[in-house]
Amino acid sequence: MASLNETGTTVRAPRAPWLTLKRRETIEGWLFVSPTLIGFLIFFLGPLIAVVFYSLSEWNLLSQDTTFVGLANYEDALTQNPDFWQVIRNSVIFAAGLVPMNMALALALAMALARPFRGVVFFRTIFFAPVVTSAVAWAIVWKFLLQGDAGAVNQMLATVGIDGPNWLREPNWAMAAVIVTRVLKMVGLNMILYIAALQSIPRDYEEAARLEGASEWQIFRMVIWPLLAPTTLIIMVITTIGSFKVFDHIYLMTGGGPENGTLVLAFYIYQQAFEFFEIGYASALAMIMFVIVLALTVVQLILRQKGST
Amino acid sequence: MKKGGLTMTRQGLFAAGVAASALLAGGASAQELRFTVWTGNDAHLEMLNGIAEGFRESHPDVTVRFETIPAGDYTQKLTFQIAGGNPPDLGWMFEDSIPAFIAAGVVEDIGPALRETEGYDLDDFSGPAMDLWSDGDAVYGIPFSTSPFMVFYNKDMFEAAGLEDPLAMVEAGEWTMEAFRDAALKLTEANDAWGFEFKDGEGYDSRIMHAIMPPIRAYGGHAWQDGECGFDDPKAVEAVTILHDMIFEDQSIVPPGEQGDFFSGSAAMTVNQISRASKMPEAGFAWGIAPLPTGPAGAAPIIGQAGISVFAQGDNKELATEFAAFMTNAENVEVMAQFFPPARASVLDSDAFIDANELIPAEQMAHVSDAIKQGSVLPSHENAPKILAAMKPRFDALFRADADVPATLAAVCAAIQDEL
Repeated sequence: MASLNETGTTVRAPRAPWLTLKRRETIEGWLFVSPTLIGFLIFFLGPLIAVVFYSLSEWNLLSQDTTFVGLANYEDALTQNPDFWQVIRNSVIFAAGLVPMNMALALALAMALARPFRGVVFFRTIFFAPVVTSAVAWAIVWKFLLQGDAGAVNQMLATVGIDGPNWLREPNWAMAAVIVTRVLKMVGLNMILYIAALQSIPRDYEEAARLEGASEWQIFRMVIWPLLAPTTLIIMVITTIGSFKVFDHIYLMTGGGPENGTLVLAFYIYQQAFEFFEIGYASALAMIMFVIVLALTVVQLILRQKGST
Repeated sequence: MKKGGLTMTRQGLFAAGVAASALLAGGASAQELRFTVWTGNDAHLEMLNGIAEGFRESHPDVTVRFETIPAGDYTQKLTFQIAGGNPPDLGWMFEDSIPAFIAAGVVEDIGPALRETEGYDLDDFSGPAMDLWSDGDAVYGIPFSTSPFMVFYNKDMFEAAGLEDPLAMVEAGEWTMEAFRDAALKLTEANDAWGFEFKDGEGYDSRIMHAIMPPIRAYGGHAWQDGECGFDDPKAVEAVTILHDMIFEDQSIVPPGEQGDFFSGSAAMTVNQISRASKMPEAGFAWGIAPLPTGPAGAAPIIGQAGISVFAQGDNKELATEFAAFMTNAENVEVMAQFFPPARASVLDSDAFIDANELIPAEQMAHVSDAIKQGSVLPSHENAPKILAAMKPRFDALFRADADVPATLAAVCAAIQDEL
């Protein structure tokens, strides 16, 4: 060590064995990912772990009273609280309505718009535009269109002799309205994913099938649909997860009403945490939501594996 | 290593420099009070800054910074500031959130300090006005706005319907719920407009209490009292039935799911506070304000309140209390009366208040003054957010054409009883 200090130029040489190329690359690698990693730890993993602890306590934000209550929050939600099961039911209805409708429409649009033709970019843009439109603007405009008698939707229906319902004021119609408007907003994203998948299918397959005498439906059923399966699975998983997490749309269009008809899980959690300031209870509900989404994802992955074997 | 060490030292020096210059710039004795409000209105802020400027005469080193948080997020953001250990020194408080803040112990009792303040005269604030903000001798806030709900009406539409002016009906003692219902129906028939719109068109959502409480109180009913729900009481049922009939039989009230707007001329009457008169010059029609219609229980004016509180976790509680006292002394209450009707009896009776609002004629302001003196505040409760959330779905069911009013109101009571 002493000899090192005698000449400044030799300082680097002894260090070289430690800082091998491999080490250097490792350090550089960590440095490159560190911004994301630090963000992930502080803003994602940290809160995620904290939620587990919060869910075991009764914590009133305003008075800062915190009591450890074990699993009482979970017990209350699952066995005592009738609203909770209505909320779960609403979330399931929302997902069951939204996912198939969204996927069917996305696939239909993708089939129509995957191949180039005059104006295809225009149509793709039209259907994708709502995805990048502000959710607030989207919800407010639809709320306006879906007014009782004065709303544009009902006035259009009236011209063909249909007496439209008061969409956002009747529980079942309100649910239908939020599902359909949500599908219209988000379908463009899945459409793009399907278009990408369709374009990656070599045209040879289709042509070979056609030469063998397959009908259009058979080509779709036997060639295209199986090749789209990985994309379909991904779309199904992300759309289902997204539908369980829906919040902004409900908050803006119905506020969970009428008669709690559109009170879905994410909105209910928001209400508990940010209107009632029951952070512990809200955290327990968030954990339940996490488990539901995780379970759905696992089930879908298993189904996919069974399907491919 | 050496290089690193050097950088560290440099950073250290820099930090020390910043800290030193901050100290120098701040001066040793300068203090800042942070005061949260929900108004972003320039005229309001100018007035508030003017009051803060006046405070500097006695406290030259104190600056007051008014921080606007929009009303819709106000209680939520304030709660998070307090929970996050960063409370403001003072803040405006809504009537519906103060009980929960008192119960949680986050607002300071400033009663003793106010009583010791020379010339303050706490008793000048009327008893009913202080009800919500005090508990025995403890005072957790001072109402700066005690604003009754008044009927705003479109004079042109009343004329078109051949109806007598509501103020004339008030004089004759005929401005009753029946007269109001009758007027709403005739206004709907005579004009291409709704007869009546609930406050801000939100009567089925965030303003349910503003929609139902005026008739319920006029009929002698109440929302809840001493832990007992009053919505299923026959008086309340009778009052709500009238509203229901007006919406669905007469079709004279803007129904749920529709948008009507008094200020743009699509409804002939609405209920609001006098601060909304600021919207009237652009309205383009003749208008007036009248008291709420009376019922079998007589006149039952309803007041919306907002107060000023000092937060218990603030660093400058004493100074903040001094500023609260200064802001609500007789002189400044008079200043604020141009926008916010006062709860000080001395100001309420003064010509200064009657003439304070240049948009509203003195004789109409006299009705405002009467309503403040006789009125009672909207129902409040420390569990208000949960009660309102539990009520909401049942009231959604009430505001349907085929609703069974008594049964639905009984369901409202069943839903909120636990929280009361």
